[in-house]
Amino acid sequence: MSDLFDTLSVLILMTAFVLMANKKVKAYIKTFRVQSALIALSAGILGVEAIMDEGRYDLMVVCVLIVVLKVIYIPGLLHKTYAGIEYRTEKDFILNIPILVLISCSLVVFTYFSFSASGFGVNGSVIDLQLVNTISVTMIGLLFMITRKKAIGQIIGFLEVENGIFITAMFSTQGMPFIVDMGIFIDMLTAVMIMGVLVFKINVTFESINTDRLNKLKG
Amino acid sequence: MSFLILAVPVIAALLMITNRIIRRMHIISLAASGTMLVSAIPITSDILAFGKIESSFMGGFLYLDALSVIVLDIVVLIGFLACIYSVGYLKREILLGAFDFKRVRLYYVLMFSFMFTMLLALSVKNVGIMWIAIEATTLASAFLVGFYNDRYALEAAWKYIMICSVGIALAMLGIIFLNLSAMAALDSSAQLDWTALMDNAGSLKPSSVRLAFIFILVGFGTKAGLAPMHTWLPDAHSQAPAPISALLSGVLLNSAMYGIIRITAVTNKNMGSSEFSGNLLILLGMLSILTASVFILTQKDYKRLLAYSSIEHMGIIAVAIGFFTPASIFGGLFHMLNHSLTKSMLFFCSGTILQKYGTRQITKIKGAIKLLPYTGTAFLLGLFAIAGTPPFSIFASEFSIMSAIFKEGDFIIGSVLIMLLAFVFAGIAIALFRIFYGTSSMETPQPGEINIPGTIAALILLLMISTMGLLIPEQLKELLHNAQNIIYGS
Amino acid sequence: MNYLIYMVLQITVIIVFAPLISGVIRKIKALSQKRKGAPVFQMYYDLHKLFRKTSVVSETSSWIFKAAPYVFFSTAVTAALLVPVSTLIPQPSSLPGDFIVMVSVLALGRFFMMLAGLDTGSTFGGMGSSREALISSLIEPSILVSLFTIALITGSTSLSRILFVVNSSENQLPLQVSILIFLALLVIIIAETARIPVDDPSTHLELTMVHEAMILEYSGRHLALMEYGAAVKQLTLITLLVNILLPFDGMISQTGMMAILLSLLFYAAKVLMAAVLIALIEINCVKLKLFSIPNLAALAFILSFVAFLQFFVLGGNHV
Repeated sequence: MSDLFDTLSVLILMTAFVLMANKKVKAYIKTFRVQSALIALSAGILGVEAIMDEGRYDLMVVCVLIVVLKVIYIPGLLHKTYAGIEYRTEKDFILNIPILVLISCSLVVFTYFSFSASGFGVNGSVIDLQLVNTISVTMIGLLFMITRKKAIGQIIGFLEVENGIFITAMFSTQGMPFIVDMGIFIDMLTAVMIMGVLVFKINVTFESINTDRLNKLKG
Repeated sequence: MSFLILAVPVIAALLMITNRIIRRMHIISLAASGTMLVSAIPITSDILAFGKIESSFMGGFLYLDALSVIVLDIVVLIGFLACIYSVGYLKREILLGAFDFKRVRLYYVLMFSFMFTMLLALSVKNVGIMWIAIEATTLASAFLVGFYNDRYALEAAWKYIMICSVGIALAMLGIIFLNLSAMAALDSSAQLDWTALMDNAGSLKPSSVRLAFIFILVGFGTKAGLAPMHTWLPDAHSQAPAPISALLSGVLLNSAMYGIIRITAVTNKNMGSSEFSGNLLILLGMLSILTASVFILTQKDYKRLLAYSSIEHMGIIAVAIGFFTPASIFGGLFHMLNHSLTKSMLFFCSGTILQKYGTRQITKIKGAIKLLPYTGTAFLLGLFAIAGTPPFSIFASEFSIMSAIFKEGDFIIGSVLIMLLAFVFAGIAIALFRIFYGTSSMETPQPGEINIPGTIAALILLLMISTMGLLIPEQLKELLHNAQNIIYGS
Repeated sequence: MNYLIYMVLQITVIIVFAPLISGVIRKIKALSQKRKGAPVFQMYYDLHKLFRKTSVVSETSSWIFKAAPYVFFSTAVTAALLVPVSTLIPQPSSLPGDFIVMVSVLALGRFFMMLAGLDTGSTFGGMGSSREALISSLIEPSILVSLFTIALITGSTSLSRILFVVNSSENQLPLQVSILIFLALLVIIIAETARIPVDDPSTHLELTMVHEAMILEYSGRHLALMEYGAAVKQLTLITLLVNILLPFDGMISQTGMMAILLSLLFYAAKVLMAAVLIALIEINCVKLKLFSIPNLAALAFILSFVAFLQFFVLGGNHV
């Protein structure tokens, strides 16, 4: 079973790399959808296990919610936001893509070594491989956020960070308590909606969603 | 029963939504915030009598003790005064044609949701729910920061929501590690409870606790405005409407700091010493003070000056908590209270000045004392107070932190701290001279106060900080001592 | 004796069936476009025809131009010898050559092809050669890293040994490593065999050609050798992919001739699957801009590197 989760965690890590290599906003959204679907799959497998072993249904509910929110609703919302703003092809990233991908790669190595250096018990138990992979997803998400200039790219980066953290919780502690999971969902949904509205307003006011134009406040 | 205080802002927000008359909204807001303030009194006296309040509602996640009630009292007090101030502030904005009733309604709804999320963050014992509430504070206040919808406000709002959301997300990672550290020691229902974590701190897995501390410090530190994660703070605090700036600076930063204090307590008890957490906290704290002092010295915008001063004071509190002696904890908590009161008053005054002059430039608001006799005086005295001049209360708490540091024998950090505070003092003094000496050559507005309720709120705060500098009420001292014992674990 | 049987079988299988795989891929593409398409044996007819024709050689070219087709074809066949189609064929106990030899032999062939492209002095040839040099230098690191990972896991750099270990029933590669290496090798094969999205094998459009540009000046027997060599290289790489990552030989319980026959049948099925997969990728992708190829190469590298890292994290105690 842990072999399967290892594989899922690796695949999720791969989607993070693919997201980093994507160039267009539509491709971001598509990759994010695949990533969320993989997370939903992991939650679903854990959920089935939980039902069989302990009769708990909460993980299954979480799985369904991920599908509804992260695979269907939020990507749709982002599509709508993106369709609503003026279309303009602009280079969205600061460094070129192969370099970004290689930096992401070194982030994985960094995560691995910082975990083994902190005495966190790499090689100590089965969950460690998954932990390294999923925390790397978070790190790559942060890198994605700071290297994309468009506001929508930054939202996707934020969602990826959130995904990485969520899947870390999933694999390491079999999910947080149910009420906490629900709260996280509500928060995330509200955050994305607010960010979407802000993107609209920024687009109207600045005539672009490039965040380098947000440079008035200094000192 | 006590936790019904949480319902008050929710009801107020719901009532606002169904309302169309501005005058009624003002009345609802004053009534609701007044009710919160009044109901905080029995809560505080209960805490003084019994030490803690718990409720069995929904699995018993609600919990208050001396530490959280101090921050909660600050929330309701500043909340009430901000509501009073808002009445006059909004009236002026409506007069200028900037707001209509829809904007006012949105303002109040968001403000009460903001207060609700802060109260929730303080009154739960589950770290996860507290995290949700703190993230929700960002969400509730994002539109308030960008309330004026111009270029500056939108930029501030975007930076605010992005940086804080990411920071908070990292704190979640820390909470996961905390959960992981407790997996062996506690049963699953109690793994995230502050009380259980504190009681069983010795049996948590140390390596996980260490990681958890780092991530939570970075996460909540972002929200508390510690350097180098502070970049959102000057923008958000300077662009938000004045009452919201007062809430952000006086209350929100404390809520985040509260989370840091809790995790520090757990970590130190787990490690058996304060070395690990202390080093990190002192490093971040000193860095914050240094950053703030540099920017204060060269600041041209008085609202940003106040915002940087908030970073400085959060740094002082972080250093005080980092030293982790009973005296320094006491000083840190007291400083938290004093900073909130003083900074809120200053933001109230700065809002009035901004409405009067229409500019944020320090050099263009000359003669403020003549035009706004009460507000101007309060602003002048407040700036003296925030710089740490006796007899105001900030001086008292800074002094007690300093003496705790020197008593600990750490002369290097103590003297560097004093030097940095002197820099800050110089920066604020320069600003003071620019504002209050000389008359402006440009055309000036008509003299006279424009926000009577707001001025009264500022004067109440001025009265509080001047008296507390001279004597601390007995109950407050006892509360602070109780909180200090909770943190120190004795 | 063993050596002889092995060589005969290996060469027959790969050399005889290599053009067929190209034909199958072309047929699937044609069907997806609602065309009838050329028969799957079309490449045999083409090769037959080309071998009978005389080749025209440019006056300005040197001996390299004439030698290149022979070198290219023979390197492809040499590489084919190193990748056993079935682990059940009795193998010489010390088959020389490991994956590093295979990669460098293929590189030698490519080197001559690039030289030949430059040799005639035509613009297209030079353009094709420079592009090929770019692509191959981007792709080579991922080939080495992914094969190196497998070599680390199996404890040997010899390809026949690697295949033997992964095909023996009790030892299996960790699932996540297999998936990553599979994806990496797939990208590598697509790039090495000049297929969409890296290159388009069916076009002579000057802006996009890579492989076709280099062999544009060839005709007759020389062209036949070039095309045949490319087909052999393609089947060799596919063999490497399917035999490492779909190790079905371990399931065969029969012995003797029967076992070899069964394993060859399995092999045929696996290769067909891979051909279908490659065709599907060709159908569903658009050709990348030349300047986007580094992105793809970076991804291939990451796939192989993360596979390497996964093995590293696991502590190297698998297999």
